[in-house]
Amino acid sequence: MSEWLTGAIARGQGISDWLAPKRAQALELLSQTAWPTRRTEAWRYTPLRSVERSIAKDQVQTTGLSPVDIADLHMTELVFVNGRFDVQQSSSELPTGLSIVLGSELNNADQALAIEQFSSIKPSRHLFGLVNDALASDVVVVAIAAGADIEKPIRISSLLSSGAEAHTRVQVKLGDGAKATVIEDVQAQGDTLSTAFVEYDIADNARLEHYRFALQTNTNVAIGGSHFNLNNKSKMHSTIVAFGSDLSRLDTDIIHAGEFADAKLNAMYLLDGKELFDLHATVEHAMPNGTTEENVRGIVADRARAVFNGRIHIHRDAQKTLAELNNRNLLMSDKAEINTKPELEIYADDVKCAHGATIAEIDKQALYYLQTRGVSRSKAQVMLNFGFINELIDLMPNAALAEWVRPIIRERFAQMEVK
Amino acid sequence: MTEQIDKALAREYEAGFVSDVESETFLPGLDEDVIRRISAMKDEPEWMLEWRLNAFRIWSEMEEPTWAHVHYPEIDFQSISYYSAPKSMKDKPKSLDEVDPELLRTYEKLGIPLIEQQMLAGIAVDAVFDSVSVVTTFREKLSEAGVIFCPISEAIQRYPDLVKKYLGSVVPTKDNYYAALNCAVFTDGSFVFIPKNTRCPMELSTYFRINEQNTGQFERTLIIAEEGSHVSYLEGCTAPQRDENQLHAAVVELVAMDNAEIKYSTVQNWYPGDENGKGGIYNFVTKRGICHTNAKISWTQVETGSSVTWKYPSCILKGDNSIGEFYSVALTRGRQQADTGTKMIHLGKNTRSTIISKGISAGKSNNSYRGLVRMNPGAQGARNFTQCDSLLIGDQCGAHTFPYVESRNPSAIVEHEATTSKVSDEQMFLCQQRGLDPEKAVSMIVNGFCKEVFKELPMEFAVEAGKLLEISLEGSVG
Repeated sequence: MSEWLTGAIARGQGISDWLAPKRAQALELLSQTAWPTRRTEAWRYTPLRSVERSIAKDQVQTTGLSPVDIADLHMTELVFVNGRFDVQQSSSELPTGLSIVLGSELNNADQALAIEQFSSIKPSRHLFGLVNDALASDVVVVAIAAGADIEKPIRISSLLSSGAEAHTRVQVKLGDGAKATVIEDVQAQGDTLSTAFVEYDIADNARLEHYRFALQTNTNVAIGGSHFNLNNKSKMHSTIVAFGSDLSRLDTDIIHAGEFADAKLNAMYLLDGKELFDLHATVEHAMPNGTTEENVRGIVADRARAVFNGRIHIHRDAQKTLAELNNRNLLMSDKAEINTKPELEIYADDVKCAHGATIAEIDKQALYYLQTRGVSRSKAQVMLNFGFINELIDLMPNAALAEWVRPIIRERFAQMEVK
Repeated sequence: MTEQIDKALAREYEAGFVSDVESETFLPGLDEDVIRRISAMKDEPEWMLEWRLNAFRIWSEMEEPTWAHVHYPEIDFQSISYYSAPKSMKDKPKSLDEVDPELLRTYEKLGIPLIEQQMLAGIAVDAVFDSVSVVTTFREKLSEAGVIFCPISEAIQRYPDLVKKYLGSVVPTKDNYYAALNCAVFTDGSFVFIPKNTRCPMELSTYFRINEQNTGQFERTLIIAEEGSHVSYLEGCTAPQRDENQLHAAVVELVAMDNAEIKYSTVQNWYPGDENGKGGIYNFVTKRGICHTNAKISWTQVETGSSVTWKYPSCILKGDNSIGEFYSVALTRGRQQADTGTKMIHLGKNTRSTIISKGISAGKSNNSYRGLVRMNPGAQGARNFTQCDSLLIGDQCGAHTFPYVESRNPSAIVEHEATTSKVSDEQMFLCQQRGLDPEKAVSMIVNGFCKEVFKELPMEFAVEAGKLLEISLEGSVG
C-alpha cells in the first residue's frame, strides 16, 4: 500500500457527515484493495509513481481562481475551488426546473435519496473512485425536473491552485424527458492532485449533452470519471477533449439500464512532452435494443504515452444491441507510445458489435502533396493533424463550444511542432 | 510389428525396475524425487536432470495465472500422477465393441478407416501393418534428406548439443506457470531438425511418429529450421481422442533461422467433457516461435476440443523482414471454454504479421480471443493486420475479444478489427429455400465463415477440419 493511500484512508476516517455510511463502505473496500502495480490490469500501462510521491497537502489558500470565459456562451456555473464548493462564483439564479444544492443542505427526504444514489452508477472497482467517495468534502446534487429543457449549459469547474489536493463530486439527475447540457472542466495550476467524479442518472426519454475537458498539463495528477446510467429511450452525446499531464486518467462508464437507449461518445487526446493520458471507456449493455457508438482518436508526440481501453460488455438479456467502437491513433515521434485495448465481451447472440483500432503515422503521401503545393512540412503536419481531430470537433453539438476549443487545439499542434 | 511390441514390453519392465510400488504409473504427487525418477526412467544425462530440477524450483515459487476468461475448479497438482507408462496390451479394450458407441459414431462420420479407428480408440491391435510400413518408408526418405524427426527423449540422447542449445531458448523456463511445470515434468514430444537449405520432403505429422501413443500429457516439441530450410508440421488429428489425463500442459518451441520457413498446423479435438463440462481436458499450452532475418512462421489451428483451452501460439519477429502468421478457428459448444489467440512481437525492421481469428460459440460455451501486437522501437516500417470475427449460435453462449495493441514506433502500422454477429435469419432462409435442412445450412455458413483459415491448412486436413466442424455443431441448431 502506498503512503499516500494510507494517509488518504486516515483522512477519510476523520470525516463524519451525512454521507457517513457511504464513506465507511468506501474505506472498507479501500483497506482491502491492493495498491495497483504493473500487474494490475486496470493500471497496466499507467504507473502511479506520481501519486505515491505526492504527500497529502494542506488546504492551500486560494484567491483569484475563476473559471475561464467561453465567448458567446452563457452558462450556469458550478464552481469548486480546491475541492470546496464556491458559492460566490457559482450561479445563484437558476432557470426553472434546475436545482443545484450541496448534499449537506438537502432536506431529509432528498438527502436520503442522494445517499441511495451515491456511487450507484460509478463502479466500485475504481480505486480512486473509492478515494473520492471517502474524501469528497462538498458533494453537490444537480437535479433537472421532469420535462424541463434547460437551454443554458451547466458548467462544473474544478479549479486548483498549485500545491492543492482536491476531491470533487457531483451527482446529476435528469428527470423524465428532461434535456440538459453539462460541461465538466478541471483547471489546475502547477503541482496538484485531483480526483473529480460525476454520476449521471438519465431518466426515461431524457437527453444529455455532455462535455469533459481535461486540458490541464504539466505536473498535475488528474484522475476522474464520468458515469452515465441510461434509462428507457434516453439519449446521451458525450465529447471528451484531453491533453496529458504527469498522470491523467479518465474513466467513463455508460450503462444501458433501460431499453432503446442511445449513447454516443467522441473522445480525443493530444499529447506532447512527457505527458501521459489514459482513457478507460466501458459500456454495459444490460438491456435490449440499445445502441452505442464510440469514436476515439489520439495524436501522441514527443515522449508522451497514451493508453486507451475500450470495453463493450453485452449482457445476456441485451438482444438487438448495436455497438461500435473505433480507435485511431497517430504516433508523431520515435519516443512516443500508444497502448490500446478495445475489448468485446458478449453474451447475447442477436447483436451486432464491432471494434477497430489502428496505429500509424501521418500519411506520407498527404504530407508530400501539401509540400508540393508550397506548404512547409511543419505547417502541413499541423494541417493534417488538425484535420484528423477536427472531424470529431465538427460532431460537437454545441457550435459555440466547438469554436472555443478549436483554437486551443490548433495552438496545441503548433506547440508540438516547435520541438 | 515385433519391434513395437518389444519396445512396449521393455518399457513396462523398465518402469517396474525403478518403482517397486506401482509398476506402470507413478503415485500422485510432485516433488524433486518424482522428477529424478522421470529423468532416470528416461535415462537422461545429468544436465537434463539439472534443467528439470531448476524448472521445478522456479515453478514452485510461481502462482497460477488467473487472468484468462475461463473458470474451472482449482487444480491440485499433488493429486496428479506425473508419469504413466503406455498401457500394456492386456488393459486395453479387446475390440471396438468395448468402445464408447458415441466415439465410434464420430469416427464413422469422419470416414476414418477401421484400422485407424482401432488405433485411436486405444485398442490392442497386434497388426498395424499399414502404419508400420508407412513409418519405415517415411523414415528412410527423411534420413536421405538429413532431416531429424524423432521423439525428444531420443534427441536428448543422440543430439544433446542441439537440444542443449535450443531447449528453452524460445520459451524460457520461467515464462509462465504451465511452461515451467512442463519443463520440470515433460515426458515426451517431438524433435525436428531441418538442415541448411533443405526442404523437408514431406509433411511431418505426429500421427506417424512411432511412439505417438506414449507422449502423455506434458508434451514438449522443439523444431529447428536451419538457414533457408522449409518444413510443414502437423499436430494432432481430427478424430476425438480419449485421454486419461485431465491436465495437458504442452510446450512447443520453433526456431526459424535466416530465410527459413516453418508452418505449424494443429487440429485439437481432445475430449470436451459431458454436457455439464465434467471430465473434459484442460489444455494449457505454450507455443512460441522465433523468426530470424527473412524467416517466416505460420501457425494454423483448428480448436474444437478440450473443456478449457488456454493457448496463445506466438511469434517473436526478431530478424528484419521476418513474417509471422496466425490463422485460427476455435469452436466451443456445450460448456467448453476457450481463451486463445496469439502474440506478435515485432522487434526487427519491416517485420510483418497477419492474424485471422474466427471464433464460433454455441451452447453454453465461452470463446475468447486474447492477443497482443507489440511494435518495439526498432520495428521500423513494421506492419500488422488483425481480424477477429466471432459467430454466436444460440443465446446462452459468449464471445469475447481482448486484443492488446502496443506501438512504440511511428512508422509501424497496426490495424485491428473485430466483429461479432450471429448466423442471420436471411442467410438461413436463403439456404433452406434452396432445400438445405437447417443443420446443413448452419454448417455451410460456418464453413464459409472459416474459409480464410481452412485455406491455410494442408489439403486433407482442411477437408477433415470442415467435417469436424460440421459434426461438432450437430444439435446446436434450433
